[in-house]
Amino acid sequence: MELLDIEDQHLFYSGHAACPGCVEALAMRHILNTLGPDTVAVVPPSCTAIICGAQPCNSLKIPVYQTTLESSAAAASGVRRALDAQGKHHTTVIVMAGDGGTYDIGFQALSSAVERNEDMIYFCFDNEGYMNTGAQKSSATPLYASTGSTPAGKPSKKKDLTEIMAAHEIPYAATATPAHLTDLVRKVKKAKSIPGARMITVLIPCLPGWGLPDDAGIAAARLAVDTGMFPLYEVEDGQRYTLNQTTRTRPVRDYLMMQKRYGHLTAEQFDEVQATVDRSWARLVERSAAAH
Amino acid sequence: MNRPRQAIWTTQTTEVVKTGSWRAALPEYVNAPAPCHNACPVDGNIAVWIRHIENQAYDDAWLTLIDNNPFPAVTGRICHRPCEGPCNRGRLDESIAIRSLERFVGDMALEQGWPFPGTPVSKAETIAIVGGGPAGLAAAYHLRRMGYAVTLIEAQQELGGVMRYGIPPYRLPKDILDAEIQRILSLGVDVRTNTRISTRADFENLQSEFAAVYIATGATVPKRLPQLDYSKSWVIESAAYLEQTNAGRHPESGTRIVVIGGGSAAMDVARTARRHGKEVTVLSLEAESVMPAQRDEVLEAKDEGITLISGAMLQSVSDRAQHDLELACIRVEFEAGAVPGEFWVTPVPESEFTVDADTIVPAIGQDPDVTGLQDLMEVEAALVRIDGQQQTSLGGFFAGGDLVTMQRFVTVAFGFGKQAAVEIDRYLQSGTPARDRPAQPEVSIDVINTDYHPRADRAKQQLVPAPERQISFDEVVLALPIAAVLAESQRCFNCGHCTFCDNCFYFCPDMAINREHGGYSVNDDYCKGCGLCVRECPTGSIVMRQETR
Amino acid sequence: MNQSSKKMLLTGNHAVAWGARLARPKFMACYPITPQTPILEKLTEFQMAGELDAEILTPESEHSAMAACISASMTGVRVFTATSCQGLLLMHEVLHYASGVRAPIVMCNVNRTVASPWAFWPDQTDSVSQRDTGWIQLYSESGQESLDTVIQAFKIAEQVVCPVLVNQDAFYISHALEPVDVPAQETVDRYLPPFQPEHVLDPERGESIGNVVSPEMFCQHRKDIGQAMQLAIAVAQECDSEWERLVGRGYGIIDPYCCDDAELVIVTMGSMCGTVRHTVDEMRSRGRAVGLLKVRLFRPLPVEALRDALAGIPDVLVLDRNFSPGTGGVLHQELKGALYGMADAPHMHGYLAGVGGVNVPPRKIEEFVDQVHRSKPAIHSVWSG
Repeated sequence: MELLDIEDQHLFYSGHAACPGCVEALAMRHILNTLGPDTVAVVPPSCTAIICGAQPCNSLKIPVYQTTLESSAAAASGVRRALDAQGKHHTTVIVMAGDGGTYDIGFQALSSAVERNEDMIYFCFDNEGYMNTGAQKSSATPLYASTGSTPAGKPSKKKDLTEIMAAHEIPYAATATPAHLTDLVRKVKKAKSIPGARMITVLIPCLPGWGLPDDAGIAAARLAVDTGMFPLYEVEDGQRYTLNQTTRTRPVRDYLMMQKRYGHLTAEQFDEVQATVDRSWARLVERSAAAH
Repeated sequence: MNRPRQAIWTTQTTEVVKTGSWRAALPEYVNAPAPCHNACPVDGNIAVWIRHIENQAYDDAWLTLIDNNPFPAVTGRICHRPCEGPCNRGRLDESIAIRSLERFVGDMALEQGWPFPGTPVSKAETIAIVGGGPAGLAAAYHLRRMGYAVTLIEAQQELGGVMRYGIPPYRLPKDILDAEIQRILSLGVDVRTNTRISTRADFENLQSEFAAVYIATGATVPKRLPQLDYSKSWVIESAAYLEQTNAGRHPESGTRIVVIGGGSAAMDVARTARRHGKEVTVLSLEAESVMPAQRDEVLEAKDEGITLISGAMLQSVSDRAQHDLELACIRVEFEAGAVPGEFWVTPVPESEFTVDADTIVPAIGQDPDVTGLQDLMEVEAALVRIDGQQQTSLGGFFAGGDLVTMQRFVTVAFGFGKQAAVEIDRYLQSGTPARDRPAQPEVSIDVINTDYHPRADRAKQQLVPAPERQISFDEVVLALPIAAVLAESQRCFNCGHCTFCDNCFYFCPDMAINREHGGYSVNDDYCKGCGLCVRECPTGSIVMRQETR
Repeated sequence: MNQSSKKMLLTGNHAVAWGARLARPKFMACYPITPQTPILEKLTEFQMAGELDAEILTPESEHSAMAACISASMTGVRVFTATSCQGLLLMHEVLHYASGVRAPIVMCNVNRTVASPWAFWPDQTDSVSQRDTGWIQLYSESGQESLDTVIQAFKIAEQVVCPVLVNQDAFYISHALEPVDVPAQETVDRYLPPFQPEHVLDPERGESIGNVVSPEMFCQHRKDIGQAMQLAIAVAQECDSEWERLVGRGYGIIDPYCCDDAELVIVTMGSMCGTVRHTVDEMRSRGRAVGLLKVRLFRPLPVEALRDALAGIPDVLVLDRNFSPGTGGVLHQELKGALYGMADAPHMHGYLAGVGGVNVPPRKIEEFVDQVHRSKPAIHSVWSG
């Protein structure tokens, strides 16, 4: 059994208001502890913002600037430039935003910031919906998932953010999950060592939003990867793809059946989802093979 | 100019918020019994000693093993492995080859010459053990470890019982057996071989010399088939066949031998006869899949060229000429009862067939010799009756092993011997009741997170090729190489025993698990009771406890 | 008076760029929009020539530009930006954010008509409609005044810890050339000390900002902003006086012109003041007792000063180059409120003059004065071309 061995710099405090079992808080814990104390974070309205805490408390040891929902990437650019103007080039600027503030209302600012190759690490905590406001759909919500605003199932596919970032040819784009901590930590360290715009999309199974029991966050994330619905991979400069897993070991049905938000799916819909995953997987395998 | 007040920058951390008030259940670290442990007749702490192997702490593995079993090299060869069936790993891919691992430790101890930790005689009482077989030897070991003086009385020339006189050397080499027996004797046991205690007077005399008596005389009286004339020269009882072989003599028989029986004794005698160059057929009442013999014994026997006719019974024998027998047989349907030894047989109409042979060796089981005992204590269906404390109806007389049970397994006998020591000790020290350990439920596969246990094939011990085996009494099953031992030990889930993998520590979103020396603790100020630690535990060593407040 | 100031022929936009440069900002995030673009272009020129040591960010929208300005300000550097009409409106959410978070940003807004329909003409609806966002607002009448006001704005902003909006009308000010006295860098350095905020985003300090607050905290915070705004009136006056002592040019927070013994005072903001001033001179020379009260500081509205200045004046005519549907002219509405309850309050007349950029020449203003004499004061603003 692979043993975890992750540095703990105590940059994330207990007492935060995440739901019991929230793996976004878990991801924050390990990301922060890997980045270290010379970091400033920008956070829009999101579950992350709630986890940061209510005035006068902060659950993060590093400074956090909470901005408006559209403007994470813009605000991070402001912090970055202001630090640079003061000669503090060593301080890492990060964004920790949800999929709403990244794929949708925050997308414009994000595209602009990465086109400018602003020096920041953007963490998107992708729980596939506007979970903080009660689980409404976002463009990150997958096909057929039931949400507060699509109770019969979302009729459109999930937007592929990592591919969009690859198309911007940013120095580093990657996917990660809190179930694969060693992989996540490696990617954070790698991202930290590369200048320019870096994006890590972390899949966050949301317990109330997806219909999972309190202790199922890790198991769900693991299944997402094992079924190929959320493959772990990296893209450097939009050209070099590296698939971090060699196989898929489970059918997507196993992953979907675990979550109440897919409880209404028909056999045809399961097949359709499996087919789309198969296609995406094949494409990734091809690209990764071409790069190595 | 006074700066206007700005009260919206943070000044403290969220640690002031004690989120522990949210929860309804709190995780608790437990030591829970693994199914192998519960199934082991000697209560072996299997998960623990396998973990020691994994950590390459072989001496610690050995110390854990001998806490319950002084014969690991023996059981590592001939135990019937009740632990491997319930093994949780078997629910994922294949169960752990526990017996193979035990043999590895047992053999290493012998190679390295590791002695038992010495125990001086510290108690006043001396205990007599009648019967130097598995139950008696185990009792001697455990009683010595408790500080009692022990006298071991054995009717035969040598100690060992069925281990020496029943099990052939290709399954259990004599030097291994001798070494493990000698190691027990080195603790200081008064041994009286060639001494038979059989009459009522013999037993009564013991009472005056000893504070308590443990009777473990085994089952030595062969059961008889009513349809066979045992006076004939072409009938050789299986125990006699094996005893002669063990004494170095070839039993006199014809070329074609039919062994009647489906248990280990039948396999032992069939394979021994094969090594004498005989054509051997085994006739078993039980269908092959439910034969009482261990499955690998049956397969090894067939590989060695033994013909197996299962689900059939002998009806009569025609003696056409001296050593030219025709056995009239019929197919049967066999049904085992709930109690060991209980069964029903239904002949299948018009399924008669014949088998030709020169010699018949019945191996259908044995009964204890209770002639000297039945006047002294309660005997039922040829077994001595004991109560829950291993005591017979005669005060101060305890009994165990094949004498009291139809479960005819060496390891079961070891368990009896161990339990007898506990009960005799309690009896002599005025019966202080044992402290009841609060029982944790046995660990089931449901609480093992198998995601952390990658698939891997079970280690397989290699066998000497069958053609070589047929002409030799050398050990058939070869030891596992050390790399395979280590790999196999890593397959073990360590059910109910924490392996300090740190999963619980790393997966807590609230940092409510602390790492401490020797384990973990839960910070109940902040634990929200989500249960992630429990679910991600690869050994099932954490449980959620409902909190009431 | 000034060591080595230089006289340059500058448009209002370029004057603003010079004012911003001299204040030594370290960060500017700008999005181009007519008629603001020359400000951004000039500043970029300064930077490329090595004359301006600042990070210039050009994001994809004004909303992002202001969002970046706020976070940069929170990270402890002096910030300047500029915009106009649509851009200002797009920033609306983050204008509130800037004042809420107490970011002492200075922004120049070039007043232009707001869509729909599309137009490029001078109109102050864009900035007056932002009067509730918590930004201090100043209105400039000339390129010179814009340069001076931008510099003053940094000092005001950093003292009261509130953002400041400096407004100048499209084309009349922004694109018109005039001789401008550009002070020396040393003069501005003497006037404007380095930016040293009390709180800053810094890993060594560990403070954070923006977390959710309780109702009581929110209410207290609004009171704190209100207090700062109140203080801003005196601070703005002080900063103007100090600047006047340094360079010889001061403008006041309101500027009465020929108001003593006036029978009618025209109240207005921005470039219209220049036209009115000219008309007042003309009319005074013909014996008409008219005056001009220029409102320079619009937010916070200097209520006491306005009441003092207009006490005893029989008639007041407010000229609004803006229109709020359902209300009329914003300055008219504000002034009505400011003067309410005065014992000797003037009769109030409000004209919507120049809305949409319609030209209002001196002749027209004379007509307004005559109209006022002929008519009774109306409660509502009157459309007057």
